[in-house]
Amino acid sequence: MIEKSLKTIDKLFSFFEDWTLFITTMVALVTLFIEVVLRYGFNKSLGWPDELVREVIMYTTFIGCGAAIKNRSMIVIDALPQVVPRLKRPLLFVSHAFTLFFSVFIFYYGIRNTALQIRTHQSTIILEIPLWIIFTFLPMMGVGMFFRTLQVIWEDLHPKLEEEGPKKSD
Amino acid sequence: MEHSYLIIILLLLGMMAATVPVFMSLFFSGVLGILFFSDYPMMLVVQSFFRSMDKFALVVVLFFILCGNIMTKGTIVDKLIKVANVVVGFLPGGLAMAGTIACGLFGAISGSTVATVVAIGGFMIPALMENGYNEKFTLGIMTSAPVLGIIIPPSISMILYSMVTNVSLEGLFLTGFVPGIMIIIGFSIYSYFHAKVKRYETQPIPSFKEVVAVFKEGFWSLMLPVVIFGGIYSGAFTANEAAVVASVYAFIVEIFIHRDMKFNDVKDVVVSSAVTSATLLIIVAGATTFGRYLTLENIPGQLADAVTAHIHSPWVFLMVVNVMLLVVGMFMDIISATLLLTPVFIPMLYAFNIDLMHFGLLMTLNLGIGYITPPLGVSLYITGAMSNRDLIYVSKSVVPFILIQLVILAILSYIPALVLYLPKAFGYLG
Repeated sequence: MIEKSLKTIDKLFSFFEDWTLFITTMVALVTLFIEVVLRYGFNKSLGWPDELVREVIMYTTFIGCGAAIKNRSMIVIDALPQVVPRLKRPLLFVSHAFTLFFSVFIFYYGIRNTALQIRTHQSTIILEIPLWIIFTFLPMMGVGMFFRTLQVIWEDLHPKLEEEGPKKSD
Repeated sequence: MEHSYLIIILLLLGMMAATVPVFMSLFFSGVLGILFFSDYPMMLVVQSFFRSMDKFALVVVLFFILCGNIMTKGTIVDKLIKVANVVVGFLPGGLAMAGTIACGLFGAISGSTVATVVAIGGFMIPALMENGYNEKFTLGIMTSAPVLGIIIPPSISMILYSMVTNVSLEGLFLTGFVPGIMIIIGFSIYSYFHAKVKRYETQPIPSFKEVVAVFKEGFWSLMLPVVIFGGIYSGAFTANEAAVVASVYAFIVEIFIHRDMKFNDVKDVVVSSAVTSATLLIIVAGATTFGRYLTLENIPGQLADAVTAHIHSPWVFLMVVNVMLLVVGMFMDIISATLLLTPVFIPMLYAFNIDLMHFGLLMTLNLGIGYITPPLGVSLYITGAMSNRDLIYVSKSVVPFILIQLVILAILSYIPALVLYLPKAFGYLG
Protein backbone atom coordinates (compact mmCIF):
# COMPACT_ATOMS: atom_id res chain seq x y z
CA MET A 1 0.00 0.00 0.00
CA ILE A 2 2.69 2.49 1.10
CA GLU A 3 4.96 1.32 -1.69
CA LYS A 4 2.21 1.76 -4.26
CA SER A 5 1.42 5.28 -3.00
CA LEU A 6 5.13 6.18 -3.03
CA LYS A 7 5.44 4.93 -6.60
CA THR A 8 2.43 6.98 -7.73
CA ILE A 9 3.71 10.15 -6.06
CA ASP A 10 7.20 9.41 -7.45
CA LYS A 11 5.77 9.29 -10.96
CA LEU A 12 4.04 12.64 -10.48
CA PHE A 13 7.16 14.27 -8.99
CA SER A 14 9.43 12.79 -11.67
CA PHE A 15 7.12 13.95 -14.45
CA PHE A 16 6.99 17.46 -13.00
CA GLU A 17 10.75 17.68 -12.27
CA ASP A 18 11.90 16.18 -15.56
CA TRP A 19 9.70 18.25 -17.82
CA THR A 20 10.09 21.56 -16.00
CA LEU A 21 13.86 21.12 -15.72
CA PHE A 22 14.05 20.20 -19.40
CA ILE A 23 11.85 23.05 -20.61
CA THR A 24 13.44 25.76 -18.43
CA THR A 25 16.98 24.70 -19.34
CA MET A 26 16.17 24.57 -23.06
CA VAL A 27 14.42 27.95 -22.91
CA ALA A 28 17.51 29.42 -21.21
CA LEU A 29 19.82 27.81 -23.79
CA VAL A 30 17.82 28.98 -26.80
CA THR A 31 17.20 32.55 -25.56
CA LEU A 32 20.85 33.03 -24.59
CA PHE A 33 21.98 31.68 -27.95
CA ILE A 34 19.63 34.07 -29.76
CA GLU A 35 20.96 36.91 -27.57
CA VAL A 36 24.56 36.03 -28.55
CA VAL A 37 23.64 35.88 -32.25
CA LEU A 38 21.76 39.20 -32.08
CA ARG A 39 24.51 40.93 -30.10
CA TYR A 40 27.43 39.86 -32.28
CA GLY A 41 25.66 39.34 -35.60
CA PHE A 42 23.24 42.26 -35.67
CA ASN A 43 24.57 44.56 -32.93
CA LYS A 44 21.25 44.35 -31.07
CA SER A 45 20.45 43.15 -27.57
CA LEU A 46 17.18 41.96 -26.10
CA GLY A 47 18.27 42.64 -22.53
CA TRP A 48 15.76 40.34 -20.84
CA PRO A 49 17.45 36.95 -21.50
CA ASP A 50 20.04 37.66 -18.77
CA GLU A 51 17.30 38.11 -16.20
CA LEU A 52 15.31 35.12 -17.45
CA VAL A 53 18.40 32.91 -17.28
CA ARG A 54 19.10 33.99 -13.69
CA GLU A 55 15.58 32.86 -12.72
CA VAL A 56 16.12 29.59 -14.61
CA ILE A 57 19.35 28.93 -12.71
CA MET A 58 17.48 29.50 -9.43
CA TYR A 59 14.69 27.16 -10.55
CA THR A 60 16.95 24.35 -11.79
CA THR A 61 19.14 24.54 -8.68
CA PHE A 62 16.37 24.52 -6.07
CA ILE A 63 14.04 22.11 -7.85
CA GLY A 64 16.93 19.92 -9.06
CA CYS A 65 17.83 19.16 -5.42
CA GLY A 66 14.78 16.90 -5.02
CA ALA A 67 15.78 14.90 -8.09
CA ALA A 68 19.37 14.75 -6.79
CA ILE A 69 18.16 13.19 -3.53
CA LYS A 70 16.18 10.60 -5.48
CA ASN A 71 19.31 9.80 -7.56
CA ARG A 72 21.45 9.91 -4.36
CA SER A 73 23.79 12.26 -6.17
CA MET A 74 24.00 14.97 -3.48
CA ILE A 75 27.65 15.68 -2.74
CA VAL A 76 28.66 14.17 0.61
CA ILE A 77 32.00 13.47 2.29
CA ASP A 78 31.81 9.72 2.83
CA ALA A 79 35.26 9.21 4.38
CA LEU A 80 33.98 7.88 7.71
CA PRO A 81 31.78 5.06 6.35
CA GLN A 82 34.64 4.09 4.02
CA VAL A 83 36.99 3.73 6.98
CA VAL A 84 34.39 2.26 9.38
CA PRO A 85 31.85 0.42 7.19
CA ARG A 86 29.71 -0.45 10.25
CA LEU A 87 28.80 3.24 10.52
CA LYS A 88 27.45 3.42 6.98
CA ARG A 89 23.83 2.60 7.81
CA PRO A 90 23.45 4.70 11.00
CA LEU A 91 25.10 7.67 9.28
CA LEU A 92 22.78 7.28 6.32
CA PHE A 93 19.82 7.82 8.62
CA VAL A 94 21.53 10.76 10.36
CA SER A 95 21.93 12.30 6.92
CA HIS A 96 18.26 11.62 6.08
CA ALA A 97 17.18 13.21 9.40
CA PHE A 98 19.15 16.38 8.59
CA THR A 99 17.64 16.48 5.10
CA LEU A 100 14.09 16.16 6.48
CA PHE A 101 14.81 18.94 8.97
CA PHE A 102 16.29 21.12 6.23
CA SER A 103 13.21 20.51 4.04
CA VAL A 104 10.85 21.65 6.80
CA PHE A 105 13.09 24.62 7.64
CA ILE A 106 13.33 25.80 4.03
CA PHE A 107 9.59 25.24 3.49
CA TYR A 108 8.72 27.35 6.55
CA TYR A 109 11.08 30.22 5.74
CA GLY A 110 10.25 29.91 2.03
CA ILE A 111 6.55 30.43 2.79
CA ARG A 112 7.35 33.40 5.06
CA ASN A 113 9.57 34.98 2.40
CA THR A 114 6.96 34.39 -0.29
CA ALA A 115 4.29 36.02 1.91
CA LEU A 116 6.64 38.97 2.46
CA GLN A 117 7.05 39.43 -1.31
CA ILE A 118 3.27 39.30 -1.79
CA ARG A 119 2.83 42.03 0.85
CA THR A 120 5.53 44.27 -0.62
CA HIS A 121 4.45 43.82 -4.29
CA GLN A 122 8.04 43.54 -5.53
CA SER A 123 8.86 42.31 -9.03
CA THR A 124 11.92 41.66 -11.19
CA ILE A 125 13.40 44.69 -12.98
CA ILE A 126 13.08 43.89 -16.69
CA LEU A 127 10.46 41.14 -17.07
CA GLU A 128 8.47 42.43 -14.08
CA ILE A 129 7.79 38.91 -12.81
CA PRO A 130 6.27 39.21 -9.30
CA LEU A 131 9.02 38.20 -6.86
CA TRP A 132 6.65 36.01 -4.84
CA ILE A 133 6.54 33.63 -7.81
CA ILE A 134 10.33 33.34 -7.77
CA PHE A 135 10.33 32.86 -3.98
CA THR A 136 7.93 29.92 -4.26
CA PHE A 137 10.94 27.94 -5.51
CA LEU A 138 11.98 27.67 -1.82
CA PRO A 139 8.82 25.97 -0.46
CA MET A 140 8.71 23.87 -3.64
CA MET A 141 12.27 22.80 -2.91
CA GLY A 142 11.24 21.93 0.66
CA VAL A 143 8.32 19.78 -0.53
CA GLY A 144 10.40 18.05 -3.22
CA MET A 145 13.29 17.28 -0.87
CA PHE A 146 10.96 16.10 1.91
CA PHE A 147 9.14 13.61 -0.30
CA ARG A 148 12.30 12.39 -2.02
CA THR A 149 13.94 11.82 1.39
CA LEU A 150 10.95 9.80 2.59
CA GLN A 151 11.25 7.82 -0.62
CA VAL A 152 14.96 7.00 -0.11
CA ILE A 153 14.34 6.19 3.58
CA TRP A 154 11.69 3.68 2.44
CA GLU A 155 14.16 2.23 -0.07
CA ASP A 156 16.85 1.96 2.63
CA LEU A 157 14.44 0.19 4.98
CA HIS A 158 13.34 -2.19 2.21
CA PRO A 159 16.60 -3.24 0.54
CA LYS A 160 14.93 -4.89 -2.48
CA LEU A 161 14.47 -1.37 -3.82
CA GLU A 162 18.00 -0.30 -2.88
CA GLU A 163 19.98 1.59 -5.49
CA GLU A 164 23.57 2.84 -5.56
CA GLY A 165 25.04 4.41 -2.40
CA PRO A 166 25.79 8.13 -2.01
CA LYS A 167 28.19 9.44 -4.64
CA LYS A 168 30.89 12.04 -4.39
CA SER A 169 30.88 13.98 -7.67
CA ASP A 170 32.47 16.95 -9.61
CA MET B 1 33.14 34.09 22.86
CA GLU B 2 36.63 34.75 21.52
CA HIS B 3 37.00 31.28 20.03
CA SER B 4 33.34 30.69 19.26
CA TYR B 5 34.24 29.99 15.67
CA LEU B 6 36.03 26.79 16.75
CA ILE B 7 32.67 25.40 17.89
CA ILE B 8 31.12 26.24 14.52
CA ILE B 9 34.04 24.78 12.55
CA LEU B 10 33.92 21.58 14.64
CA LEU B 11 30.18 21.44 14.02
CA LEU B 12 30.76 21.84 10.28
CA LEU B 13 33.41 19.09 10.22
CA GLY B 14 31.20 16.85 12.39
CA MET B 15 28.23 17.19 10.06
CA MET B 16 30.41 16.60 6.99
CA ALA B 17 31.93 13.50 8.65
CA ALA B 18 28.40 12.27 9.41
CA THR B 19 27.71 12.25 5.63
CA VAL B 20 25.26 15.15 5.87
CA PRO B 21 25.22 16.68 2.35
CA VAL B 22 27.96 19.30 2.08
CA PHE B 23 25.63 22.18 1.29
CA MET B 24 23.48 21.44 4.36
CA SER B 25 26.57 21.17 6.60
CA LEU B 26 27.68 24.60 5.39
CA PHE B 27 24.17 26.04 5.66
CA PHE B 28 23.39 24.77 9.17
CA SER B 29 26.83 25.68 10.61
CA GLY B 30 26.51 29.14 9.07
CA VAL B 31 22.95 29.54 10.40
CA LEU B 32 23.93 28.44 13.92
CA GLY B 33 26.98 30.72 13.91
CA ILE B 34 24.88 33.68 12.80
CA LEU B 35 22.05 32.84 15.21
CA PHE B 36 24.18 32.42 18.33
CA PHE B 37 26.99 34.88 17.76
CA SER B 38 25.26 37.77 15.96
CA ASP B 39 21.81 39.35 15.75
CA TYR B 40 21.32 38.92 12.00
CA PRO B 41 17.62 38.07 11.24
CA MET B 42 16.90 34.54 10.03
CA MET B 43 14.65 35.79 7.21
CA LEU B 44 17.65 37.63 5.74
CA VAL B 45 19.87 34.55 6.10
CA VAL B 46 17.37 32.52 4.04
CA GLN B 47 17.07 35.37 1.54
CA SER B 48 20.84 35.52 1.06
CA PHE B 49 20.88 31.71 0.63
CA PHE B 50 18.22 32.10 -2.07
CA ARG B 51 19.70 35.22 -3.68
CA SER B 52 23.15 33.62 -3.96
CA MET B 53 21.76 31.81 -7.04
CA ASP B 54 20.67 35.08 -8.63
CA LYS B 55 23.93 35.47 -10.57
CA PHE B 56 24.28 35.35 -14.32
CA ALA B 57 27.83 33.95 -14.00
CA LEU B 58 26.40 30.64 -12.70
CA VAL B 59 24.99 29.86 -16.12
CA VAL B 60 28.45 28.79 -17.21
CA VAL B 61 28.39 25.83 -14.76
CA LEU B 62 25.09 24.48 -16.12
CA PHE B 63 26.03 24.80 -19.77
CA PHE B 64 29.59 23.45 -19.59
CA ILE B 65 28.14 20.41 -17.75
CA LEU B 66 25.54 20.10 -20.51
CA CYS B 67 28.22 20.34 -23.20
CA GLY B 68 30.30 17.60 -21.52
CA ASN B 69 27.25 15.35 -21.13
CA ILE B 70 26.26 15.76 -24.79
CA MET B 71 29.76 14.66 -25.80
CA THR B 72 29.78 11.69 -23.45
CA LYS B 73 26.42 10.53 -24.84
CA GLY B 74 27.45 10.96 -28.47
CA THR B 75 30.51 9.83 -30.43
CA ILE B 76 32.67 12.94 -30.14
CA VAL B 77 34.89 11.12 -27.59
CA ASP B 78 35.55 8.22 -29.95
CA LYS B 79 36.61 10.65 -32.66
CA LEU B 80 38.90 12.62 -30.33
CA ILE B 81 40.68 9.39 -29.31
CA LYS B 82 41.19 8.43 -32.97
CA VAL B 83 42.70 11.84 -33.71
CA ALA B 84 45.06 11.60 -30.72
CA ASN B 85 46.05 8.07 -31.72
CA VAL B 86 46.88 8.98 -35.30
CA VAL B 87 49.15 11.79 -34.07
CA VAL B 88 51.27 9.88 -31.51
CA GLY B 89 50.09 6.26 -31.60
CA PHE B 90 53.11 5.02 -33.61
CA LEU B 91 55.66 6.15 -30.97
CA PRO B 92 56.83 3.79 -28.19
CA GLY B 93 54.11 4.09 -25.55
CA GLY B 94 52.11 5.92 -28.20
CA LEU B 95 48.71 4.52 -27.29
CA ALA B 96 49.14 5.65 -23.67
CA MET B 97 50.24 9.07 -24.94
CA ALA B 98 47.14 9.13 -27.15
CA GLY B 99 44.99 8.39 -24.08
CA THR B 100 46.61 11.30 -22.23
CA ILE B 101 46.19 13.68 -25.19
CA ALA B 102 42.56 12.56 -25.57
CA CYS B 103 42.02 13.48 -21.89
CA GLY B 104 43.52 16.90 -22.70
CA LEU B 105 41.25 17.35 -25.73
CA PHE B 106 38.21 16.21 -23.76
CA GLY B 107 39.27 18.52 -20.93
CA ALA B 108 39.28 21.39 -23.42
CA ILE B 109 35.54 20.89 -23.85
CA SER B 110 34.37 19.42 -20.54
CA GLY B 111 35.20 20.93 -17.16
CA SER B 112 35.05 17.77 -15.10
CA THR B 113 37.56 15.08 -14.14
CA VAL B 114 34.89 12.48 -13.39
CA ALA B 115 33.35 12.97 -16.86
CA THR B 116 36.83 12.59 -18.38
CA VAL B 117 37.57 9.34 -16.48
CA VAL B 118 34.27 7.84 -17.54
CA ALA B 119 34.42 9.03 -21.15
CA ILE B 120 38.07 8.36 -21.99
CA GLY B 121 38.83 5.58 -19.49
CA GLY B 122 35.90 3.52 -20.77
CA PHE B 123 37.50 3.45 -24.24
CA MET B 124 41.20 3.49 -23.39
CA ILE B 125 41.53 0.94 -20.57
CA PRO B 126 40.39 -2.03 -22.71
CA ALA B 127 42.28 -0.66 -25.74
CA LEU B 128 45.59 -0.36 -23.85
CA MET B 129 45.26 -3.82 -22.33
CA GLU B 130 44.36 -5.41 -25.67
CA ASN B 131 47.56 -3.90 -27.04
CA GLY B 132 49.64 -5.63 -24.36
CA TYR B 133 50.09 -2.76 -21.90
CA ASN B 134 50.68 -3.76 -18.29
CA GLU B 135 47.44 -3.52 -16.26
CA LYS B 136 48.94 -1.50 -13.42
CA PHE B 137 50.39 1.04 -15.84
CA THR B 138 47.11 1.20 -17.79
CA LEU B 139 45.02 1.86 -14.70
CA GLY B 140 47.61 4.33 -13.38
CA ILE B 141 47.67 6.51 -16.47
CA MET B 142 43.94 6.34 -17.20
CA THR B 143 43.10 7.21 -13.58
CA SER B 144 45.60 10.09 -13.43
CA ALA B 145 45.43 11.76 -16.87
CA PRO B 146 41.75 12.78 -16.47
CA VAL B 147 42.92 15.44 -14.00
CA LEU B 148 43.41 17.38 -17.25
CA GLY B 149 39.61 17.74 -17.29
CA ILE B 150 39.84 20.41 -14.59
CA ILE B 151 43.31 21.81 -15.41
CA ILE B 152 42.74 22.49 -19.11
CA PRO B 153 39.90 25.00 -19.38
CA PRO B 154 36.98 25.15 -19.16
CA SER B 155 37.08 23.95 -15.57
CA ILE B 156 34.14 23.88 -13.15
CA SER B 157 36.36 24.42 -10.11
CA MET B 158 38.07 27.41 -11.78
CA ILE B 159 34.63 28.88 -12.56
CA LEU B 160 33.69 28.71 -8.86
CA TYR B 161 37.11 30.03 -7.77
CA SER B 162 36.70 33.01 -10.09
CA MET B 163 33.23 33.69 -8.65
CA VAL B 164 34.56 33.72 -5.09
CA THR B 165 37.65 35.82 -5.83
CA ASN B 166 36.24 38.01 -8.62
CA VAL B 167 39.29 37.34 -10.83
CA SER B 168 38.63 37.32 -14.56
CA LEU B 169 37.34 33.89 -15.58
CA GLU B 170 38.79 34.28 -19.07
CA GLY B 171 42.20 35.08 -17.52
CA LEU B 172 41.95 32.22 -15.03
CA PHE B 173 41.14 29.78 -17.83
CA LEU B 174 44.38 30.82 -19.55
CA THR B 175 46.43 29.75 -16.51
CA GLY B 176 45.50 26.11 -17.19
CA PHE B 177 47.04 25.64 -20.62
CA VAL B 178 50.77 25.55 -19.73
CA PRO B 179 50.28 23.28 -16.68
CA GLY B 180 48.00 21.03 -18.77
CA ILE B 181 50.65 20.71 -21.47
CA MET B 182 53.31 20.05 -18.79
CA ILE B 183 51.22 17.17 -17.43
CA ILE B 184 50.71 15.74 -20.95
CA ILE B 185 54.48 15.96 -21.61
CA GLY B 186 55.34 14.48 -18.18
CA PHE B 187 52.98 11.52 -18.62
CA SER B 188 54.10 11.01 -22.23
CA ILE B 189 57.80 10.88 -21.27
CA TYR B 190 56.98 8.35 -18.54
CA SER B 191 54.91 6.29 -21.03
CA TYR B 192 57.78 6.38 -23.56
CA PHE B 193 60.33 4.99 -21.11
CA HIS B 194 57.87 2.52 -19.62
CA ALA B 195 57.14 1.17 -23.13
CA LYS B 196 60.88 0.96 -23.93
CA VAL B 197 61.62 -0.97 -20.71
CA LYS B 198 58.65 -3.32 -21.17
CA ARG B 199 59.35 -3.66 -24.93
CA TYR B 200 55.76 -3.01 -26.00
CA GLU B 201 55.07 -3.34 -29.71
CA THR B 202 54.62 -0.03 -31.45
CA GLN B 203 51.78 0.64 -33.90
CA PRO B 204 52.65 1.18 -37.57
CA ILE B 205 53.12 4.76 -38.75
CA PRO B 206 49.81 5.82 -40.35
CA SER B 207 49.81 6.77 -44.01
CA PHE B 208 49.03 10.34 -45.03
CA LYS B 209 45.70 9.14 -46.38
CA GLU B 210 44.79 7.57 -42.99
CA VAL B 211 45.76 10.77 -41.14
CA VAL B 212 43.59 12.86 -43.45
CA ALA B 213 40.66 10.43 -43.08
CA VAL B 214 40.83 10.50 -39.25
CA PHE B 215 41.10 14.29 -39.14
CA LYS B 216 38.20 14.58 -41.60
CA GLU B 217 36.05 12.28 -39.44
CA GLY B 218 37.04 14.15 -36.27
CA PHE B 219 36.79 17.63 -37.81
CA TRP B 220 33.50 18.65 -36.14
CA SER B 221 34.65 17.32 -32.76
CA LEU B 222 37.98 19.14 -33.01
CA MET B 223 36.18 22.37 -33.90
CA LEU B 224 34.44 22.40 -30.50
CA PRO B 225 37.48 23.62 -28.51
CA VAL B 226 38.21 25.99 -31.39
CA VAL B 227 34.69 27.45 -31.06
CA ILE B 228 35.06 27.77 -27.27
CA PHE B 229 38.52 29.30 -27.09
CA GLY B 230 38.46 31.04 -30.46
CA GLY B 231 35.22 32.72 -29.41
CA ILE B 232 36.42 33.73 -25.95
CA TYR B 233 39.89 35.01 -26.83
CA SER B 234 38.98 36.67 -30.12
CA GLY B 235 36.52 38.73 -28.07
CA ALA B 236 33.52 37.33 -29.96
CA PHE B 237 31.87 36.25 -26.72
CA THR B 238 32.43 35.88 -22.98
CA ALA B 239 33.21 32.62 -21.18
CA ASN B 240 29.55 32.48 -20.04
CA GLU B 241 28.32 32.82 -23.60
CA ALA B 242 30.96 30.32 -24.80
CA ALA B 243 29.30 27.66 -22.65
CA VAL B 244 25.97 28.35 -24.38
CA VAL B 245 27.46 28.40 -27.88
CA ALA B 246 29.42 25.20 -27.16
CA SER B 247 26.27 23.39 -25.98
CA VAL B 248 24.30 24.45 -29.06
CA TYR B 249 27.22 23.47 -31.29
CA ALA B 250 27.54 20.05 -29.57
CA PHE B 251 23.80 19.45 -30.00
CA ILE B 252 23.92 20.35 -33.71
CA VAL B 253 26.96 18.11 -34.31
CA GLU B 254 25.53 15.10 -32.44
CA ILE B 255 21.95 15.38 -33.76
CA PHE B 256 22.39 16.56 -37.35
CA ILE B 257 25.98 15.70 -38.35
CA HIS B 258 26.99 12.57 -36.41
CA ARG B 259 23.28 11.59 -36.00
CA ASP B 260 24.07 9.81 -32.72
CA MET B 261 21.46 11.49 -30.55
CA LYS B 262 17.65 11.20 -30.57
CA PHE B 263 15.03 13.47 -28.97
CA ASN B 264 14.69 11.21 -25.91
CA ASP B 265 18.46 11.35 -25.44
CA VAL B 266 18.28 15.15 -25.57
CA LYS B 267 15.75 15.23 -22.74
CA ASP B 268 17.76 12.77 -20.62
CA VAL B 269 21.00 14.68 -21.17
CA VAL B 270 19.41 18.06 -20.36
CA VAL B 271 17.66 16.80 -17.21
CA SER B 272 20.73 14.97 -15.89
CA SER B 273 22.86 18.07 -16.57
CA ALA B 274 20.39 20.28 -14.68
CA VAL B 275 20.44 17.89 -11.71
CA THR B 276 24.26 17.65 -11.71
CA SER B 277 24.44 21.43 -11.90
CA ALA B 278 21.99 21.66 -8.96
CA THR B 279 24.20 19.43 -6.79
CA LEU B 280 27.16 21.78 -7.41
CA LEU B 281 25.40 25.14 -7.32
CA ILE B 282 23.49 24.38 -4.12
CA ILE B 283 26.92 24.13 -2.45
CA VAL B 284 27.52 27.71 -3.61
CA ALA B 285 24.31 28.67 -1.77
CA GLY B 286 25.39 26.78 1.38
CA ALA B 287 28.88 28.30 1.17
CA THR B 288 27.31 31.77 0.88
CA THR B 289 25.52 31.27 4.21
CA PHE B 290 28.68 29.95 5.85
CA GLY B 291 30.69 32.76 4.23
CA ARG B 292 28.31 35.32 5.72
CA TYR B 293 29.06 33.93 9.16
CA LEU B 294 32.83 33.99 8.45
CA THR B 295 32.57 37.62 7.34
CA LEU B 296 30.47 38.68 10.34
CA GLU B 297 33.08 37.17 12.65
CA ASN B 298 36.00 38.38 10.47
CA ILE B 299 37.49 34.88 10.65
CA PRO B 300 39.54 35.04 7.40
CA GLY B 301 41.14 38.25 8.68
CA GLN B 302 41.94 36.70 12.07
CA LEU B 303 43.42 33.59 10.43
CA ALA B 304 45.49 35.73 8.05
CA ASP B 305 46.90 37.65 11.05
CA ALA B 306 47.74 34.40 12.84
CA VAL B 307 49.44 32.91 9.76
CA THR B 308 51.45 36.04 8.91
CA ALA B 309 52.62 36.24 12.53
CA HIS B 310 54.26 32.81 12.19
CA ILE B 311 55.15 32.56 8.49
CA HIS B 312 57.09 35.37 6.85
CA SER B 313 58.08 33.98 3.47
CA PRO B 314 55.64 33.45 0.56
CA TRP B 315 57.70 30.36 -0.39
CA VAL B 316 57.14 28.75 2.99
CA PHE B 317 53.47 29.79 2.88
CA LEU B 318 52.98 28.15 -0.52
CA MET B 319 54.71 24.98 0.67
CA VAL B 320 52.53 24.77 3.80
CA VAL B 321 49.36 25.50 1.80
CA ASN B 322 50.29 22.93 -0.85
CA VAL B 323 50.71 20.22 1.79
CA MET B 324 47.49 21.29 3.49
CA LEU B 325 45.51 21.24 0.24
CA LEU B 326 46.91 17.82 -0.68
CA VAL B 327 45.62 16.49 2.64
CA VAL B 328 42.25 18.27 2.22
CA GLY B 329 41.97 16.86 -1.31
CA MET B 330 42.31 13.33 0.11
CA PHE B 331 39.07 13.75 2.07
CA MET B 332 37.02 16.46 0.39
CA ASP B 333 35.80 16.96 -3.16
CA ILE B 334 37.25 19.83 -5.15
CA ILE B 335 34.05 21.90 -5.38
CA SER B 336 33.36 21.93 -1.64
CA ALA B 337 37.02 22.57 -0.81
CA THR B 338 37.28 25.44 -3.32
CA LEU B 339 34.13 27.15 -2.05
CA LEU B 340 34.97 26.61 1.62
CA LEU B 341 38.67 27.47 1.64
CA THR B 342 39.08 30.18 -1.00
CA PRO B 343 37.46 32.97 1.11
CA VAL B 344 39.73 31.96 3.99
CA PHE B 345 42.87 32.15 1.84
CA ILE B 346 42.13 35.46 0.10
CA PRO B 347 43.44 37.80 2.88
CA MET B 348 46.59 35.63 3.22
CA LEU B 349 47.26 35.84 -0.52
CA TYR B 350 47.14 39.63 -0.32
CA ALA B 351 49.43 39.57 2.74
CA PHE B 352 52.03 37.44 0.91
CA ASN B 353 51.53 39.26 -2.40
CA ILE B 354 50.62 36.05 -4.22
CA ASP B 355 48.64 36.52 -7.42
CA LEU B 356 45.04 35.28 -7.13
CA MET B 357 45.15 33.69 -10.61
CA HIS B 358 48.40 31.89 -9.81
CA PHE B 359 46.92 30.56 -6.57
CA GLY B 360 43.70 29.55 -8.34
CA LEU B 361 45.63 27.27 -10.64
CA LEU B 362 47.72 25.83 -7.78
CA MET B 363 44.59 25.16 -5.75
CA THR B 364 42.88 23.46 -8.72
CA LEU B 365 45.88 21.24 -9.49
CA ASN B 366 46.43 20.46 -5.83
CA LEU B 367 42.83 19.48 -5.13
CA GLY B 368 42.75 17.73 -8.52
CA ILE B 369 45.47 15.37 -7.26
CA GLY B 370 42.89 14.49 -4.57
CA TYR B 371 40.94 12.64 -7.27
CA ILE B 372 43.67 9.99 -7.34
CA THR B 373 44.67 9.82 -3.67
CA PRO B 374 43.03 7.35 -1.26
CA PRO B 375 40.81 7.07 0.71
CA LEU B 376 38.38 9.24 -1.28
CA GLY B 377 39.93 9.66 -4.71
CA VAL B 378 36.81 9.39 -6.87
CA SER B 379 38.80 8.47 -9.99
CA LEU B 380 40.34 5.49 -8.16
CA TYR B 381 36.88 4.08 -7.50
CA ILE B 382 35.70 4.62 -11.08
CA THR B 383 38.66 2.93 -12.79
CA GLY B 384 38.63 0.24 -10.07
CA ALA B 385 34.99 -0.51 -10.95
CA MET B 386 35.79 -0.46 -14.68
CA SER B 387 38.59 -3.01 -14.25
CA ASN B 388 37.27 -5.03 -11.28
CA ARG B 389 40.29 -4.07 -9.20
CA ASP B 390 40.25 -3.02 -5.54
CA LEU B 391 41.19 0.40 -4.18
CA ILE B 392 44.65 -0.71 -3.00
CA TYR B 393 45.63 -2.05 -6.42
CA VAL B 394 44.50 1.11 -8.24
CA SER B 395 46.07 3.34 -5.54
CA LYS B 396 49.44 1.65 -6.09
CA SER B 397 49.10 2.06 -9.85
CA VAL B 398 48.85 5.85 -9.67
CA VAL B 399 51.98 6.42 -7.51
CA PRO B 400 54.36 7.33 -10.41
CA PHE B 401 51.76 9.70 -11.83
CA ILE B 402 51.18 11.39 -8.46
CA LEU B 403 54.96 11.93 -8.23
CA ILE B 404 55.03 13.50 -11.73
CA GLN B 405 52.17 15.83 -10.77
CA LEU B 406 53.85 16.77 -7.48
CA VAL B 407 57.03 17.75 -9.36
CA ILE B 408 54.92 19.86 -11.75
CA LEU B 409 53.05 21.39 -8.80
CA ALA B 410 56.37 22.37 -7.16
CA ILE B 411 57.65 23.91 -10.42
CA LEU B 412 54.43 25.87 -10.91
CA SER B 413 54.38 27.02 -7.28
CA TYR B 414 57.80 28.58 -7.47
CA ILE B 415 57.86 29.76 -11.09
CA PRO B 416 54.61 31.78 -11.30
CA ALA B 417 55.61 33.09 -14.74
CA LEU B 418 54.77 29.66 -16.21
CA VAL B 419 51.21 30.01 -14.99
CA LEU B 420 50.79 33.73 -15.57
CA TYR B 421 52.50 34.05 -18.95
CA LEU B 422 49.33 33.53 -21.03
CA PRO B 423 46.98 35.70 -18.90
CA LYS B 424 49.62 38.45 -19.13
CA ALA B 425 50.07 38.02 -22.89
CA PHE B 426 46.30 38.30 -23.41
CA GLY B 427 46.04 41.38 -21.22
CA TYR B 428 44.25 39.87 -18.22
CA LEU B 429 47.05 40.90 -15.83
CA GLY B 430 48.46 44.35 -15.30
